[in-house]
Amino acid sequence: MSDMSRGKTVAFRGGGFAPKPQRWIGVFVFVTLILLAEWGTRSGWITALTLPKPSDVFDTFRELYESGLLFKHLGPSLSRLVVGAAIGASVGISVGVLIGLFSYIRSGLVPLVAAIFPIPKIALLPLFVIWFGIGEGSKYALIAFGTFTPTVVATYGAVDNVDRTLIRMGQSFGLSWWSIVRKIVLPGAMPGILSGLRISLAIAIILLVAAEMLGAQYGIGAYILEAGSLYDLERLFAGVVILSLLGVFVSFIIGMIERRLLGWRS
Amino acid sequence: MKLNRRKALALMGSTVAASGLAAPALAMNKKIKVGALRFTSHSGSFIAQERGYFADAGLDVEFEFFQAAQPMAVAIASGDVDYAVTAVSGGLVSLAQKGAIKVIGGALAEEDGIDGQKYLISSASYDAGIKTLKDLDGKKYAVTQAGSSFHYMGAKMAAAEGISLSFTPLQKVGAIIGAMKSGQVDGWSIVPHIAKPLAKAGAWHMVANVSDYIPGYQVTTVFTSAKNAADERGLTESFLQGFSAGVDDYAAAMIDKTADQDAMVDLIHKYVYTDRPREKAAPSIINGTMRLNSGAALNIASIQDQLSWFQSEGLVDADISIDQLVDRSYVDIIGA
Repeated sequence: MSDMSRGKTVAFRGGGFAPKPQRWIGVFVFVTLILLAEWGTRSGWITALTLPKPSDVFDTFRELYESGLLFKHLGPSLSRLVVGAAIGASVGISVGVLIGLFSYIRSGLVPLVAAIFPIPKIALLPLFVIWFGIGEGSKYALIAFGTFTPTVVATYGAVDNVDRTLIRMGQSFGLSWWSIVRKIVLPGAMPGILSGLRISLAIAIILLVAAEMLGAQYGIGAYILEAGSLYDLERLFAGVVILSLLGVFVSFIIGMIERRLLGWRS
Repeated sequence: MKLNRRKALALMGSTVAASGLAAPALAMNKKIKVGALRFTSHSGSFIAQERGYFADAGLDVEFEFFQAAQPMAVAIASGDVDYAVTAVSGGLVSLAQKGAIKVIGGALAEEDGIDGQKYLISSASYDAGIKTLKDLDGKKYAVTQAGSSFHYMGAKMAAAEGISLSFTPLQKVGAIIGAMKSGQVDGWSIVPHIAKPLAKAGAWHMVANVSDYIPGYQVTTVFTSAKNAADERGLTESFLQGFSAGVDDYAAAMIDKTADQDAMVDLIHKYVYTDRPREKAAPSIINGTMRLNSGAALNIASIQDQLSWFQSEGLVDADISIDQLVDRSYVDIIGA
């Protein structure tokens, strides 16, 4: 029994699967893929028809910036994105909250939202052109309509998930209905609403290309479509990179809003 | 018609016999894929298939149908389709620059005396006082995409009239027709069988002929992969031989009226406007009649003009030469 008295050290095994941020791995993956593509296109085992040289894409991007065309394309696209997404998201959040709070509205609108969610908004583009004109109206409408439905679904889901015990406690303490909505329901639903916005704003960027299919001379989407029809891969990839950067930027903005509005969580 | 067919076959037989050495290389019953749009301008291939001219040339042809010219060019580049007929577009030139495709012959062309493509002004704009092409200055001119043949036709007209147009990309012909009808765009150009019925229906006014502004315009060309053009000489010659025989029949029936037009309309109707009954399709097929170049001859001057225009607009690289785009060794070169 001498073993017992000496004791045996047992390593701590309950560390769990906690992911730790590895800051440089993401950058490393990007750089490796780009270098691989550059080497492949230079040495010739990737043909010019398959993939453009990353360095040529970078040159195209630089020319775009230096000629000032970048901002000529970015300006209209950003305004379409901001106006369309603002209309879609604000109407979507309002409708979603109403659905979450009132049984009649829920019964009336949830089937309707479910019916319009799966409609490919691009298919309605010709119709929008007749309704809202070939100018900016139809583009705003398409992006607004595309962001509206996912925002509604995320919002009423978030309202439904607010902790019931908190609401009951508020009622027990005699808070008015409006106070409960303002102080418990809305803050409680905010995490869900914001993560829903991440998805619907990404959809808005996707729809930007579709919105600029009809009648747009300038815009990132129009630029990508033109490059596609000319089979100009360098310009095509330069445009796609801009959309990706736009997505990263939007995600960053929402991250800032989350930190600001959800400070109560920590 | 029977007589004509027999005659044509006899002619074919004699050309194959006359070419002597080439004949064994041709008759191999090789399977090839031909890309086509369901337009009357593709009739050359349809006739060659239906009347057995491809089979006579030793080819087993399968059609691959597309909705637009651009995907067809990409399909040739990827090797999914062997031969096709389409308009010269910026995309086609870019693919030629990348060494993927070559233009080997000519098809649809504007010719004096044959009703060709029309410039149009939408009825809403016409009523608002835009009566001539010159009045279109600063107005919206519909194109499918930048660098398309519509863009070229509009730009050539604008240059001749000394006006500037706001080119509006609408991707599809259907979308443009809708936008013209509702007055969202002011001007456009299109083939006669679409222009005429809708002009009658009051959608737009036909104000000029494209041939007045672009004489000898080579609208569509025959093209193939650069590999076929360089390495498959026998196969490519066989295809052009069958195609040309189809084109000759088309011209005899539809333009020269030396053969039975009704039988030709029946044949084309098997491929074009198949969703409409014969009596409704016939006027459109007849209205769509344009010159398909005999022997797939290619108007090189027109191709050079189109290439130069793409380059001047910055749509394609400025250092692409005409010989990167065209292989002159297969057909008669005209306009040089």
